[in-house]
Amino acid sequence: MSNMPYPQPGSASDAAFIGIGEIPSGKYPKRGFMAQLVEAAARAIQDSGLQHTDIDQLVLIPNLHGIPDQADLIFSRVAEELGLHGRVKSSMMVHSGGSTSDNATRAAAGLVASGQARNVLVVQSEKWGSADLTEMVDMLSVNGIPREWEGTSGLQFNAIGGLITQRYMHQSGSTPEEMASVCVALREWARLNPNAMWKDKELTVEQVLASKLVSDPIRAIECPYLADGAAAFVMTSATEARRNHDSWVRIGGSGGCVSHYSSGQDAELGELGWPKAAVEAYDAAGWGPQDADLAEVYDSYSAVLTIALEGLGLSKKGEAARDFHAKRFSPGGEFPVNTNGGLLSAGHTGVGGGMALLVEAVRQLLHRAEPERQVAGAERCIVGGSGGSYMDAQIMMLERVEK
Amino acid sequence: MSYIENAEQLTGPFGEALARGELTVQKCNSCGELIMYPKYRCPSCFGNDLDWCAVSGRGQLLTYTVLRFGAPSSFDVEPPYAIGVVRLDEGPQLTGRLHAGADGTWDHYRCDEPVVFEPADAAEVAQRPAAWFAAPRGS
Repeated sequence: MSNMPYPQPGSASDAAFIGIGEIPSGKYPKRGFMAQLVEAAARAIQDSGLQHTDIDQLVLIPNLHGIPDQADLIFSRVAEELGLHGRVKSSMMVHSGGSTSDNATRAAAGLVASGQARNVLVVQSEKWGSADLTEMVDMLSVNGIPREWEGTSGLQFNAIGGLITQRYMHQSGSTPEEMASVCVALREWARLNPNAMWKDKELTVEQVLASKLVSDPIRAIECPYLADGAAAFVMTSATEARRNHDSWVRIGGSGGCVSHYSSGQDAELGELGWPKAAVEAYDAAGWGPQDADLAEVYDSYSAVLTIALEGLGLSKKGEAARDFHAKRFSPGGEFPVNTNGGLLSAGHTGVGGGMALLVEAVRQLLHRAEPERQVAGAERCIVGGSGGSYMDAQIMMLERVEK
Repeated sequence: MSYIENAEQLTGPFGEALARGELTVQKCNSCGELIMYPKYRCPSCFGNDLDWCAVSGRGQLLTYTVLRFGAPSSFDVEPPYAIGVVRLDEGPQLTGRLHAGADGTWDHYRCDEPVVFEPADAAEVAQRPAAWFAAPRGS
């Protein structure tokens, strides 16, 4: 699918990220769902330099831990909680699992570009870390897995990770040690992120390989830890951004490919939709992997990330795990990847995992990350997201703009 | 004009064939496309004259995993058990179960190696209608 013309940079239809907010991810049983959401929202609004009453549109990212909280989102509880009832034009939910943050960005940018909204708040909260584990395993065995065709074989999400990893390792010839080094690199980044679940715990390749097999060839430490967390961002138009900001972040272009619903139906489980989405995104943006300063790409399992990095052209085909092993993507390496620690080490906050990566991308491009992990002079970041059983590959080409 | 009206009509014939020890896939009578998993409309020509046909049961193992912890509680099988994605010689692909080898493990499986359909016993198929595959005998 060819791209429609993108908005003229700096124009009223050119959407701009102007603020982000996030609270630490991890196990926080005392932190309530709505309390988390309001705090992340408040931080993003403050960061954007706006008043809460400037928000005229809410785009909500759903939680996965339970339906009652999700219903609160659907039926505008957030408008009341933020004191925006009677003020916001509309409150809506966007949902595509792990790629929701990318699609919420599309929705928010579209609302701004078409004049439907002036200042959009996108916000997410999740209580996965404190939820009942058996219930969550069952939830992750039913939702997003075809009941009639794959449920009957006992498929669940770690098994999908196993299927994809097995295929990737077969095609690339990557060793267990090379795969484990993906987790280690992400942990090194997480150690620099005060919001990361595992910021206080070192990790070695030996520890990964000594953990028990969960779904061959994936081991326990290679499975994402379910976490509580919340994040938010504010978008407006470039013309609005210019009034109060010296810098903001725009979308240079995007690409996407929905390659399957069932993991058993993807013709290329070792590639997924990335190569196709990348062609579209790079064509739209007019720049590509060689021009990027960093990347923030969905990583609920190591192979999910290595497959994406290869499809994005950030690694040569089959080389991403070896690149991780050679520390190319680690702190101090040649090219920073998942500088917040990713889902694997910052914590898997459900649909929020992709949100945390997107927010980190905007934070890096606004030059607001903590100094230890701020990528010096970061101007261009490739953001990648994937939902469900890695049903889609979504790419956002983010650019720093200075007035 | 008649059409497939619900999930039972769509999936039923697959389970009935498995109960007979046969592996079948959906077939479009208009364009000849073999379809798996079955659909309400042919994904190729978008027609709705859809039928079923038996396949050889031979295919290639695209990938597999052995789940060792965290089986869905509704599945009611003690781990470990193995799941594989098989591309049939006829083209379509599907997820199914893998039989353990004589040593009780799945260590002999490799990606891209041949596998053959080998039905589970009737009680198993009745409870969990899945296609089971094994390494070809003598391999």
